[in-house]
Amino acid sequence: MPKIWVLRGLKKGVLTSRFPRAKPTSEEIPEHALPPVPTPQADWSAGEKECPTDAIRSEEKIIDMGLCVYCRRCSSAGFSFDEGAGGSSRALQASVTAHGKAGKPVFGRSLHVMMIDVGSCNACNLEVLNLSNPYYDLTRLGISFTNSPKHADALIVVGALNRAMVDVLRRTYESMPEPKLVVSVGACAISGGVFRGSEGFASPVQDVIPVDVTVPGCPPSPVQIIEGLLLATGRLKKETAP
Amino acid sequence: MDSRRVERRNVESLGDAIQLSSVFRAGGHTYALLSDMGAHKTVLSELPPTLGEEFGPLLKGGEAPAGTPLELDVGGKVEGYGVFEFPYGPVSWGVPEAGGFKLVTYGERVVKVIPQVNFKKRGVERSVVGRTPQDALLIIERSAGNFSASYSTCFLTAVEDYLGSEVPLKARWTRAAAIELERICNHLHVFGRLAETASQNIAASQANALRERVLRLNSKHFGHRYLFGFNTVGGVRPDLSREECKELSTAVRLIAREFSELVAYFLSSRIFLDRLQGTARLERGDALSLGAVGPAARGSGLLWDDRLTCPIDPYEDIYVNVETDAGEDTMARTMVRVREIESSTIVLREILDRMPGGGVKSGNRPKQQRDGDVLDDLALCRIESPSGDLIQVVQLDMQGRVSNLHVRPASLVNWLPFARSLESNVFTDFQFAFESFGLSYADSDR
Repeated sequence: MPKIWVLRGLKKGVLTSRFPRAKPTSEEIPEHALPPVPTPQADWSAGEKECPTDAIRSEEKIIDMGLCVYCRRCSSAGFSFDEGAGGSSRALQASVTAHGKAGKPVFGRSLHVMMIDVGSCNACNLEVLNLSNPYYDLTRLGISFTNSPKHADALIVVGALNRAMVDVLRRTYESMPEPKLVVSVGACAISGGVFRGSEGFASPVQDVIPVDVTVPGCPPSPVQIIEGLLLATGRLKKETAP
Repeated sequence: MDSRRVERRNVESLGDAIQLSSVFRAGGHTYALLSDMGAHKTVLSELPPTLGEEFGPLLKGGEAPAGTPLELDVGGKVEGYGVFEFPYGPVSWGVPEAGGFKLVTYGERVVKVIPQVNFKKRGVERSVVGRTPQDALLIIERSAGNFSASYSTCFLTAVEDYLGSEVPLKARWTRAAAIELERICNHLHVFGRLAETASQNIAASQANALRERVLRLNSKHFGHRYLFGFNTVGGVRPDLSREECKELSTAVRLIAREFSELVAYFLSSRIFLDRLQGTARLERGDALSLGAVGPAARGSGLLWDDRLTCPIDPYEDIYVNVETDAGEDTMARTMVRVREIESSTIVLREILDRMPGGGVKSGNRPKQQRDGDVLDDLALCRIESPSGDLIQVVQLDMQGRVSNLHVRPASLVNWLPFARSLESNVFTDFQFAFESFGLSYADSDR
């Protein structure tokens, strides 16, 4: 039988996610990508002691999601990771920073994105690469990847910023044409994550270039990265998120 | 240290079948870790002065300072009419990681490749010193996200060996299942990248879709898409029930079956095969002397797979069919990976079928204190990660904290074989060679 790729492709049908038109399914936002939520019985000081990255601060009673690596050690101190604990929309975690450029409809329905790795463990890179697999298929949203910062509208930064990459990151950012957006993906890019104390770590990404949207996670799921990109371009508002 | 797996003797020089695997310091001594390809044994030797000089900086990579890129010495300098250096990276989409190359070329053919590493060196080995194994684990499993299960299992096996702590049988078997899932996932990734490079978009999409299904299985049964946090000191988190094992087993079988259909299509596509056959040849002798490991070495006919040659617990009981191919080219390496997906599926299904009962966490806390002198004592573990042999050497101090860690990742030693294989190939074959070796900067820089 002749082996025709196109027919094989058609035979497999549609696998693509319905997000952002529908709520992400539990497979798209896996359990490990759900953030901790304090239950009424939560012991904040025990949580602070358990937390390896100091994301839990008992004095202010907040969880800094930029630091959280979703290791679930705080579950013993009464922090819950169940889907039902804090409403369904908490699965979507991206947030707009104070930089103030995100959320404006500058780019319409087309966006060219470039990814730069500044010292990641490769998991975030792979999740960004996964965005072009049939399950997430970014091009259906008019978003495509580009190889050169000179063609890019948005920059996805992954990884704990290494001292060797500080200058590279700055020059990449500077060679992008205006207007431009920066999305930092993963705990490492936002705060350094578990590598905050390591000798290669320079600083959080936002200390070097202005960041418009942060997507916490370790690594965030592809749907959460899509949410970050849509938030940056103003195609998704936090209040109307599915 | 486990004497079944490691032999201590002094080796003066590298023979025909002895490969230098790593060089590390422990307790004031410098050791060489060698792989005896003939006897399939790991040999630990005091470092003789004749050995390891040329590999020193590469194998002792952990000692290079973080924050400065390092150019690997591939030997010899090429000058001549029209020869120039073509810089590639550290920012590129072809290699979606922070790392670079200098390609020495006179136009179309590559004369030399000089890999530039350590752009993202975080200094994992030094940053875990002084931490408890449980805290160190968080960093270890995030050293190389795509090889996370291998990293954490390697570290924990060494730590548990060192402490002499009892690990439940079921936990060990669960770890092996995770490692096999990781291997399937990574080989699918490599296959997808190769297809993408050859512009076989449908093949790439379908391989990536299969990979996504494996990732979802990871997250469903092990709690994380990249298997972070499934391992703990003295056990594992997920307690797979009989039904879950059966479900996972069926799902993996379906994925393997669909993949073999995909491979049949791949093997009938002349355009695809043409790009791989004869590309980036790595001769057997070079693979041995340059220290190639994993599918890269097996694609050049070297038989070394840690699951067979220095097995951790469950692999001693399970038949692992080690795939080698004498083709020496990119096609051979790809076919090794393709067949390993099949053999891994068989291994994984056997693990799941025979999954022992009982708990997954050890009841008794590991001994916090050791008796006597621990200076010259060390524990080492070798795990076959998807890209090849991963070695970790661990020492703990009297309080049970990590006092010394040496990591020898597979990607680190595969740089030189990779650079050698590309010599006199055309420029456009670069990507195929890179993907087929399964090199990862996160792995080699750690």
